[in-house]
Amino acid sequence: MKKRNNKKKGSQSNFSKLSVFQNNKYKFKKKCPLSGKGAPVVDYKNIKLLKRYVSENGKILPSRITSVSQKKQRELSLSIKRARNLALL
Amino acid sequence: MNFYEHTIIARQDTSPSQLKQLQEKYSKIVEKNEGDIVKLENWGLMNLSYLIKKNKKGNYLHFKIKADGKTISELEKNEKIDKNLLRYLTVKVKKFDLDTDYFKKNSEDKEVDRKTKK
Repeated sequence: MKKRNNKKKGSQSNFSKLSVFQNNKYKFKKKCPLSGKGAPVVDYKNIKLLKRYVSENGKILPSRITSVSQKKQRELSLSIKRARNLALL
Repeated sequence: MNFYEHTIIARQDTSPSQLKQLQEKYSKIVEKNEGDIVKLENWGLMNLSYLIKKNKKGNYLHFKIKADGKTISELEKNEKIDKNLLRYLTVKVKKFDLDTDYFKKNSEDKEVDRKTKK
């Protein structure tokens, strides 16, 4: 019985990381999709890329959901703000 | 000398000839202040994602400039006054990437297609 309880707790804590309104596609990727070889360049002109990291209401998604590394998240938020200023996003 | 990327949004109702005037006006300002325009991109008429001064669309012009900081301040001084412009943005970069063009003619082609179909 104890083991089962533990399992349930683990899954719950994982689930609570996600917002209820998120789609499933953002679930549990471990690696950062923007760093490493062959990763796309974060740029304020690259709207297709930026749109992936913005919610439907235009908010920046937290890195715990998108699993973007800290460094890249900083770049992302800056370039998203630039794109907003140019009315691209 | 530094590298800058400079983007301007002009009003939606500016005619092509007016756009060219704007282009020439600002490239002249840059050249007068000992700057170089490495590349000039015309992104064309694009939808704004929100209204700016009651404009739904805007004409985007993108400059890649090699110049000093003084030149940029001179440019922006002139652009603040200009009533034909909605926004401008200057970004300092370490290197230009001249290969990738994020706003290529693909989107324009589609628009042209739609118009011809209608």
